[in-house]
Amino acid sequence: MSQSLIEGNRLSKVYATATGPLVALDNVSFGIEEGEFISLVGPSGCGKSTLLSILGGLEEKSDGTLVLAGKHHDAPRPDLGMMFQTSVLFSWRTIRENVKLPGIILGLDRKQQAERCDELLDMVGLNGFGDRYPDELSGGMRQRVALARLLAHDPRVLLMDEPFGALDEFTRETMNNELLRIWEKTGKTVVFVTHNVGEAVFLSDRIFVMTPRPGRLEGIIDVDLPRPRKAEIMRDPRFSELVFDIRRMLGVDH
Amino acid sequence: MTMQATADMIEPTSVNTHAERIDRFIAEERRRGRRRNIRNRLLAAGFGILVLAIWHFATTLGFVHALIIPSPADTFWATLRVGGADYFWPNVWVTLQEIFWGFAIGLASGVILGVGVAMFDVVRATIYPYLVALQAPPKIVLAPIFITWFGFDQASKIAIAVVMSFFPMFLNTLTGLSSVDPNAVKLMRSLTAGRWKTFRYLLLPNALPIMMAGVKLCWTLAVLGVIVGEFVGASAGIGYLIYAMNFQLDIAGVFSLIILLSLFTLIVYQLIEWLESRIIFWKQL
Repeated sequence: MSQSLIEGNRLSKVYATATGPLVALDNVSFGIEEGEFISLVGPSGCGKSTLLSILGGLEEKSDGTLVLAGKHHDAPRPDLGMMFQTSVLFSWRTIRENVKLPGIILGLDRKQQAERCDELLDMVGLNGFGDRYPDELSGGMRQRVALARLLAHDPRVLLMDEPFGALDEFTRETMNNELLRIWEKTGKTVVFVTHNVGEAVFLSDRIFVMTPRPGRLEGIIDVDLPRPRKAEIMRDPRFSELVFDIRRMLGVDH
Repeated sequence: MTMQATADMIEPTSVNTHAERIDRFIAEERRRGRRRNIRNRLLAAGFGILVLAIWHFATTLGFVHALIIPSPADTFWATLRVGGADYFWPNVWVTLQEIFWGFAIGLASGVILGVGVAMFDVVRATIYPYLVALQAPPKIVLAPIFITWFGFDQASKIAIAVVMSFFPMFLNTLTGLSSVDPNAVKLMRSLTAGRWKTFRYLLLPNALPIMMAGVKLCWTLAVLGVIVGEFVGASAGIGYLIYAMNFQLDIAGVFSLIILLSLFTLIVYQLIEWLESRIIFWKQL
């Protein structure tokens, strides 16, 4: 069997707390293929953000093995990119300077990065906003900048922690469409954390359904909806069926 | 009846198009804003004049003795007298030097130790408990000891100014460097940024607003430290002059020195605020 891009085997994470050990992640195993769009879905405390941090090399796993592109993985690396629920833009840098930040930190070619920055701002629909400052932009626009910055150093894997969770419903849907368009164009591997089941079904190839206390991988759902996907897909009976299946796995519907 | 007709009945007007009404509305808003501005300035100026008038009449009509509070006119003339005296500038120069060095050393040491404690766990574990403990007593108690240690000259005043201005700069640097969005730190880590790059691109700029507030405190306390030092024991300086004039019951002279010192402190304070608006420009957006 050929190896997946990312392979987690019996991953566990335990926090030592005053009231005893807290199991945030319990024996989680999975494989993620190159170019796949994976969502981690589950309620608070199911360990989805912990798992994402471990995938990013930002948090130490307590047990198990994690392999990325054939090598053991336990530290941040430049071929990964992270995006958060808040845009985390630096208010003292212009939009363009924010998008250039990863290139500067990683010491990439400046001229090439400048061109790439303009392309990316174009791609996320922020052409002409490069010289503005973050505080002058709306929440949705700021997340667009964060998306451009995520792609700046051309990472192979995008790790996204509820990136549109703080946006209003309409902006969130627009951003989902944009993300799909960009993903289809770039062919990146995406791991996307959300607690919005509909969002996960709309975006993903496969959905890792996680349950809390302790954080477990309850099951993996194949999303067999055709691509490219547009908003109309939500009218597809299969869409509702998948949403319902996942909700049942999470124990939301009785 | 159409809507337009109803509106006209409520507010008969010669201005009929939508655009004209909008223009009129905006012009009215602007007028109101200007009027409020003028009113606020008049209020402030009026209050100042009122205080001056009370001061004037209280002192000239004999309610308060001139030895306790000199009249505004006396204070004005005293300012010219003191400012023109040949002892004035040498004493001012002594104090300015003390303030400058006290401020500079207090600021630099506060920033350096603040950065050290914020960035290095070993430094924090080693010296932070002592810095907190040293912060507890009012620094003024050190003034007499410093005069004993460093003498009547400038060194003792500088030392007092340093210990007084150090703490706000240290604490604000430390607080500024620590008040950072955890996700921003995560982002920097995910980009494989080390300690130095995280400091340079995230922590330092993020800390600047709080640090600048520290600089302003640092300045005010450096001035305070120097004057207190000169009160306790000095042979020159503005504080020394104030003390001497007070002793000679030249209260008008004391008033004039206080006013000159306030002016000087205020001008530098404004300068720092101007610098602040340049350095942390993004707060003005």
